[in-house]
Amino acid sequence: MTSVPQPAAMPLSPRPEMVDPVYRQIRDLVYKVSGIYKAEEKLYLLADGCGRRMKQLGARTPRDYWDQLTAQPSRDGELRHLLNEITIGETSLFRSQPQLDALRKVILPEITAEKTKQITKRLRVWSAGCSTGEEPYTLAMTMLEESERLLKGWTVEILGTDLNDRSVEAAKAGIYGDYALRNTTEYFKRKYFSQLDDKRLQVRPEVKKLISFSRLNLQDDSKMLFMKGMDLIFCRNVLIYFDGVSKSKVINHFFTNLNFGGYFFLGTSESLMKLNDQFHLVHFPGTIAYWKPSLNVGKL
Amino acid sequence: MTSAVSATIRDRVQGIETMPAIPTVFLPLLKMLSSSSDEVKVDEVVRLVSYDNTIAAQCLRVASSPLFGLAQLPRSIKSAVISLGLRRVETILLTCCLGQAFPAEKWSLDPDVFWRHSLGCAMVCRKFSEKLKAVDSEKAYMAGLLHDLGFMVNCLVFPKEFAAATELACREGVPLHQAELATMGFTHCETGQALAEKWKLGSELVEVIAHHHDVAQSQTAPALLAMVHLGDLLCRMRGLGYGYYERCKVDLISDPAWGVLLKEHRDLEGVDLARFTFELDESVEQIQALVATVFGSSSARS
Repeated sequence: MTSVPQPAAMPLSPRPEMVDPVYRQIRDLVYKVSGIYKAEEKLYLLADGCGRRMKQLGARTPRDYWDQLTAQPSRDGELRHLLNEITIGETSLFRSQPQLDALRKVILPEITAEKTKQITKRLRVWSAGCSTGEEPYTLAMTMLEESERLLKGWTVEILGTDLNDRSVEAAKAGIYGDYALRNTTEYFKRKYFSQLDDKRLQVRPEVKKLISFSRLNLQDDSKMLFMKGMDLIFCRNVLIYFDGVSKSKVINHFFTNLNFGGYFFLGTSESLMKLNDQFHLVHFPGTIAYWKPSLNVGKL
Repeated sequence: MTSAVSATIRDRVQGIETMPAIPTVFLPLLKMLSSSSDEVKVDEVVRLVSYDNTIAAQCLRVASSPLFGLAQLPRSIKSAVISLGLRRVETILLTCCLGQAFPAEKWSLDPDVFWRHSLGCAMVCRKFSEKLKAVDSEKAYMAGLLHDLGFMVNCLVFPKEFAAATELACREGVPLHQAELATMGFTHCETGQALAEKWKLGSELVEVIAHHHDVAQSQTAPALLAMVHLGDLLCRMRGLGYGYYERCKVDLISDPAWGVLLKEHRDLEGVDLARFTFELDESVEQIQALVATVFGSSSARS
């Protein structure tokens, strides 16, 4: 830091003004319906997703596609296809490092300090809509890393639920290839996986035993009532497919199922918008979460 | 802070010979920005800038950045004023002046990181003020840009003490102002206030610089101070902090500053804070590019 500053050439990502403005309209529609926000520099990803759908539908221009996307009665169906396109490939182990950092550096110290006053040292975590298990395994490995420190003497229970039976079976098997493991460091691969064949790794039994997988429909009110006592709930890119009324109902269940002082996490660029005013939106470095305030915290 | 410490800070800031000379146009520009826009003449700004070609050139580079979204790039300060508006050009000029004021060799804090935070906060403040129609948006930008002036003072006047504070902050993951208080007994708020008073920056700016970590102290500009406080927190949580992991949780809506704004501006209830956050993320890359343009990049310094 000693030389005189020199003006540098300006590094630019695809210039926002080069993106067809229709994609901003589509971005706003997607946010309004699903809570997923594609930032300006990620608009090209949205454009790619739209491009694939346009090909399927034979739409010539983004404007044609917009017309099809907003026309009744096909609107809901096409939006669902588009959401599938733009969330595809989002599943992998260690998907969101800022969430994991917040968990280890801020949330676990806070929750364990709070719960130390209680008799039982038990932490309950729920990965709702866990697909093929990448998220609950990531959480289990993260917790195991803390087992000699913050979580020494604690019982950790992780629940992984999904609507799809085949996903649940795949999750139980815990077998992953390169793509799912693209964000997993060698350290974690060596410590928590065994080599299944030349292309795939399998999660070790000591990780698996922290998790119970089961099928659950988040819209099944009677079953949702039994999911109480959670400290952390993760629900990534699942609520985006629900309509407003169902979404509100499921979010209320999540709120009820969380302990006071517990946290609810969505996908990286996903928000509850303003569907629930009981949760507090809280920021950690690089990520947001929804917090069920402790009993002694009021709201302005 | 005791009055003896306060007097020491004031004396050292007043007495130092090493404080770099600020570009000639800086203080007249600040004066213009503090007056109402009707009183400001375009020709006066153009005349001022013509004294300093380096600043004029930098200003044009910044005005051409994607952050300002101009379809046609300006070729002169006058055309920049016509395209962007006078007050926005003034704040760009102010940014360029600050870039010249503090030479890189004097820093003990990474200057790129500092400027990213200051520019980020400036942009958040402008966005807040535009959404709430509360404070003049360019005034909000300026307050965000200058709120951490005290860090510059610390680098220049208290380099050893400040280095210990930054080391503690990085090691423990605590906010920098808390680390300053623990190691130095005072913070950048007090040193910034001393410089702001020396530069006669006006009561509102002095208040922002002095109290942006404690909005309850506000006497003259509560809404402006609250915006800067929230902007500072938000930037620190979204990749525009001080380059280390702050082990903290920020609940903006429960923050007293949110309450201050909400009392006067009910529109705030309608703001979707998550979306506001995601929109800030959009600007991060552009802010980094802007910092590289105005202040030089880290690679240029290594």
